[in-house]
Amino acid sequence: MNILICGVGGQGTILASKILAESAVIDGSDVARTGETIGMSQRGGSVVSHVRTEKTSSPYIPKGTADLLIAFEKCEAARCLPFLKPGGKAVVSLSEIKPVAVSIGVMAYDAAAMESYIKTYAESIFIDTERLAAPFMDGKCTNTLLLGAAFGKGYINISENAVKKAMEKLIKPRFLDVNIMAFEAGIAAVRE
Amino acid sequence: MKINLLGNGAIAMGAIAAGVGFAAGYPGTPSTEILETLKSNENAKDIHIEWSTNEKAAVEAGAGAAYSGVRTLVTMKQVGLNVASDPVMCLSYIGVKGGMVIVSADDPGPISSQTEQDTRSFGAYAHLTVLDPSSPEEAYEMTKYAFELSEKLSRPVILRPTTKVCHASATVDVTDEVYAVSPDGFVKDPKWVIFPPLSYKRHIENFKIYNNLGECSYNRVITAETDIGIVTGGVTTAIVTDVLTDLGVKVNRLTVGRPYPFPTTEAAAFAAGLTKILVLEELDPFIEEQLERIVKTPICGKYSEHVPAAGELKYENVKNIICNFLGINAPETVSVNSNVTLPTRAPVLCAGCPHRASFYAVKLASKGKKAVYCGDIGCYTLGNAKPLETTDTCLCMGGGITVAQGIKTANPDTDVFSFIGDSTFFASGMTGVANAVYNKHNITICILDNRTTAMTGGQPHPGKGVTITGEETVHIDIAKVLTALNVGFVKECNPFELDSAVKTVTEAAEFPGVSAVVFKAPCIAVSKKPCSYEVFDCIGCKRCINELGCPAISLAEEKAVIDPVMCYGCSICETVCKPGKIRMIGGLSV
Repeated sequence: MNILICGVGGQGTILASKILAESAVIDGSDVARTGETIGMSQRGGSVVSHVRTEKTSSPYIPKGTADLLIAFEKCEAARCLPFLKPGGKAVVSLSEIKPVAVSIGVMAYDAAAMESYIKTYAESIFIDTERLAAPFMDGKCTNTLLLGAAFGKGYINISENAVKKAMEKLIKPRFLDVNIMAFEAGIAAVRE
Repeated sequence: MKINLLGNGAIAMGAIAAGVGFAAGYPGTPSTEILETLKSNENAKDIHIEWSTNEKAAVEAGAGAAYSGVRTLVTMKQVGLNVASDPVMCLSYIGVKGGMVIVSADDPGPISSQTEQDTRSFGAYAHLTVLDPSSPEEAYEMTKYAFELSEKLSRPVILRPTTKVCHASATVDVTDEVYAVSPDGFVKDPKWVIFPPLSYKRHIENFKIYNNLGECSYNRVITAETDIGIVTGGVTTAIVTDVLTDLGVKVNRLTVGRPYPFPTTEAAAFAAGLTKILVLEELDPFIEEQLERIVKTPICGKYSEHVPAAGELKYENVKNIICNFLGINAPETVSVNSNVTLPTRAPVLCAGCPHRASFYAVKLASKGKKAVYCGDIGCYTLGNAKPLETTDTCLCMGGGITVAQGIKTANPDTDVFSFIGDSTFFASGMTGVANAVYNKHNITICILDNRTTAMTGGQPHPGKGVTITGEETVHIDIAKVLTALNVGFVKECNPFELDSAVKTVTEAAEFPGVSAVVFKAPCIAVSKKPCSYEVFDCIGCKRCINELGCPAISLAEEKAVIDPVMCYGCSICETVCKPGKIRMIGGLSV
């Protein structure tokens, strides 16, 4: 599987990508690869993580071949859509984070156009992360909640058990329970 | 044991397995996570690990350990190698006893760097072996090999991963065994003292060693029933493998995993009988130039403009270049093209970042005057963006303080401010201050002291009071350093107390000679969020947005709104809101 995770620097995309790679390993894969954006873009720029669970040499997903897009922000979802294969799935946060250039009026942010573009091209589900993730550390668990939503829809062929084990390994003990609750809330949200 | 590791983690694990005893570096993307992995590994308890004040200090301290027989790892990014180039160049003559691996991480793109320089070329220039991993797995193996080779040659070996190896993860088979090193300590010998006659002798030796180093298992040949070949290095090797698999095409391939000394014999044998060769590599046309030197086969590469001169080589570029080389039509990428105009999203200073308040204070203090703002390397380079626009120059680590001196001399009617972070100040700012004082320059130095090396993820430094392992140490006081360097005006201030900060900057700017203001407020990543702010009955004047450019404040139906999760409660917007509509709303539970 080719999974692309995108968002805004600081939203926690890297943890989501690590959880996926680690859970693939727990499920017995020894070929999982990820490619991260770590550096200047972490300061509120566009960030993308590539996750590949089948045998490849490079961690970077070619355009038009991602099976799944998990987007933490609407505009970033639209930006990464060219990576999705035709008929690919997209789990998209309804959150709109306006770049400073938009706030000061230098650029425009057309949320409706972005949303319809995503809907036209991908089998997509939009998640109200601001509302759903609010109970879990004031939105700090958006990443695990969105992972839950993708699992709940059956978009990821890794076992739920492996994901929870990966979370145990990667998340500090004091933040583990709340993240597992957010993950489960994500699953419940799409099964309602 | 198989574990999922970032390339940087794999290098750290390789160093542990190789029995490293001393590890030093200076943070820099994409190299930072190597030492961070080491410090948090249980098997690394007996290893001396440090964030040195800069890369030169790291290499020199590392050299001393390696002279004493200790296996030594030194890490940095490519521009850090420039800072370290004085000891590195000399070490290639003096050599080491314990294995010494210098990791210099290159950044094609560049993604988070000032330059697109190529450590392979530096290695050739310095006469040091360079190993170039194509994946995290290979980075792990190469690190172990690099220590062995360094000891065999009694010379440092450079490992140069690139961003897409450092920040990619893979499942790596990691051993529990640690190579046993028993250093015999420093043994006095004239060979450790660099004198011209010794350098002459070593220059001859180096030439011989690197001309006769022989084969390396990381230079690999794959043969196919065609008369064309592709030569690659680094992560491009992995991408080319994927592209050829997807195209279902087989060609002769040479992978250069040890670019210096170049495998001339293998390359000449590879090229024999081929009618044309495509060289795919990022950064310098290093392999291409080496091949040009030894083979007559026509080469498609950067000089022939088949391959772009700069930037990353991504899958799509590589596919098109290869199809063009093979004379076949590239299969169309079935992918959507956006018909929606999307706003670009450049990195910004975080909501709550104290640098925003510091820049704003300097901007207010110099309002209506001719002023030039000389920036430096760190998060605060982002002060160049609208609406702050308080970074007019940025050159290199520590350069802001000295560039300011030249600008002031050439533009005496202008107030010249330089901005430098606390970590950068210790790395390479202090000599610039001495230069300013000694040569009677008239500039104002603004130290943005946020108590951490923020841009690379919050590493401690000499002004922090703790070491990389969290151990308490002395805290070097920046204001005292400036005073000791005879800076005539030194004052500390809190940038969030805006009126007093503006007053202090104004006084500093009026001071004849070198003046300094130390803005003291911690990075939001190392401090606790006190509260949030909210806008009540906004009148829509947009002053907060247009003055500050805080990412937590946006416009909704022509009124300012503050994202309560992103807001860090810094209070600067409350200060700036003239109608007084922004107010504190209590702390959040995090």
